[in-house]
Amino acid sequence: MPAAVKENIFSTLVIEMRNDLELDAIIEDYLLGKLNPQETEALEQLRRNDPAVDHKVVSHKFFLESMEMFAAQIRLKEQLNSIHAEINVEGLASSLRPHPSRVVQLWRKQKSAIAVAASFLVLSLVSVYSIQHNTKQKEQLVLLSNQVNKAIKTQNSLIRKINNTTTTAGKPVIQNSFGGTGFAISTNGYILTNLHVINGADSLYVQNNKGESFKVKSIYTDPQNDIAILKINDKNFSHLSSIPYTIKKNTSSIGEIVYTLGYPKDDAVLGEGYVSSKNGFVGDTTQYQVSIPVNPGNSGGPLLDANGNLVGIISGKPDQTEGAAFAIKSKYILEAMRAIPQDSLGTNRLSSNKKSMLSGLKRTKQIEKLQDYVFMIKVYN
Amino acid sequence: MNNSLKGSVPTDREVILGILNNSADTLNKLYKAYFAMVLQFILNNNGDEDDAKDVYQEAIIILYNKIKEGNFELSSKLKTYIYSVCRRIWLKKLSQRSKKTGNITDYEDVFAVEEDVEQHEEKDLQFVKMQSALDHLGEPCKTIIQDFYIHSLSMQDICEKFGYTNTDNAKTQKYKCLQRLKKIFFQP
Repeated sequence: MPAAVKENIFSTLVIEMRNDLELDAIIEDYLLGKLNPQETEALEQLRRNDPAVDHKVVSHKFFLESMEMFAAQIRLKEQLNSIHAEINVEGLASSLRPHPSRVVQLWRKQKSAIAVAASFLVLSLVSVYSIQHNTKQKEQLVLLSNQVNKAIKTQNSLIRKINNTTTTAGKPVIQNSFGGTGFAISTNGYILTNLHVINGADSLYVQNNKGESFKVKSIYTDPQNDIAILKINDKNFSHLSSIPYTIKKNTSSIGEIVYTLGYPKDDAVLGEGYVSSKNGFVGDTTQYQVSIPVNPGNSGGPLLDANGNLVGIISGKPDQTEGAAFAIKSKYILEAMRAIPQDSLGTNRLSSNKKSMLSGLKRTKQIEKLQDYVFMIKVYN
Repeated sequence: MNNSLKGSVPTDREVILGILNNSADTLNKLYKAYFAMVLQFILNNNGDEDDAKDVYQEAIIILYNKIKEGNFELSSKLKTYIYSVCRRIWLKKLSQRSKKTGNITDYEDVFAVEEDVEQHEEKDLQFVKMQSALDHLGEPCKTIIQDFYIHSLSMQDICEKFGYTNTDNAKTQKYKCLQRLKKIFFQP
């Protein structure tokens, strides 16, 4: 091949290549949207006329897209690598590498299982401990109640001891009788008093303010709350008119004025004072402490507030403190009443729902109404 | 153990919003939050630190792309997702190396991510192709192409960097390189 021809072919090649390169550049600018409208129009014309050019455009588009995705990936990887460089991999690895000790390996593998097991263990220990603790508390409670029992003995139960000496047929017969107070909880003859008043009684009588005595018998006793319910069992007894007082539902506040009517002697005696503590003897929550001077015989008497609501039952007094008494809270009256057959009480019974008929009356009027419902309890043994 | 890394674990929501907003800070926090977990897994299953890095980065990339595509539904905790993806990738690598995969020591819950990993592998084939095409290109073409397309350098910068007398020469060189690259890339 002559040199001239060779050179000619080569230059054609170079020109073709140059054209090719220029075409590539134009296509890339076209795909990147860098061409002006005329150039764009010209290239699109060329694409329509020359399938080879069209193919170039399509393949370059695909290539550019692949390149762009690739570039994004590379950039992300570079970013991750620079973050990675900030991590002390060596230090981490040494603490995470499989440990020569099997124990540590086991710990790492079973970390969560061990944690669950450990918390279960702790939980069961705690519950065992608390059960033990509870038992201890119970024992303390028993002890405490023993103390209370003892204390009750040192409490002066407010029972009046009457040494009644009567002579029958010239023979002196010594008859011990005790007395307390009770009050009506229904119009058909149910009377509530303290259990310690009637405990160990051979026979029981109640006496109203007119001096009439009726035979009663014990229907229900609640040793825990020291409550007894008696029923008048006497054909001479005529029904009372409706109970004037009601049961106070809420507990009374300290300082609330209260009074009681009782039989420390053969006539009714009024005692007035205020609620001095929400709890009774050594923190007994079933009782109030009231500041009312009481005497033996007041036990079982009703404790009322100024509106004629039953606040409690006088039950005892501390032997050291003068002028104080304890009263069982009124809600235990309701409890005791629920414990006996409901229809036996009749319709006119003591309740917490009615309005007290004593409400708004002067104290003297209240006592006048009240005294028909308060009885002296006479105990013979 | 890895308190320094876990110091500021971002919430899953933070991660998703951050990635959608191209937050470098979020990516940083995400990466540091769970690397120790994967490192522990790899180290205790016949791998080394470099394996952990590769596997973890792949998983982060899968998560990143999935979030970017906008079809990422947070059906589990991100932590569980990342762990599952890493586990899947590592099991594949182990079986490729024909190492035993029977007794894998797990540290987290796992759920099925096969689909995500396979999709990623398909895409990755394209990237591998591009990378090998670039590697076959030789210098200075490889660097010119990388600088222009990956690091977004201008032709002016490239011209100065490679000492071309003018940008037209640099452009011609770039298109020559591009032509060769496309030829290699499109080779069946």
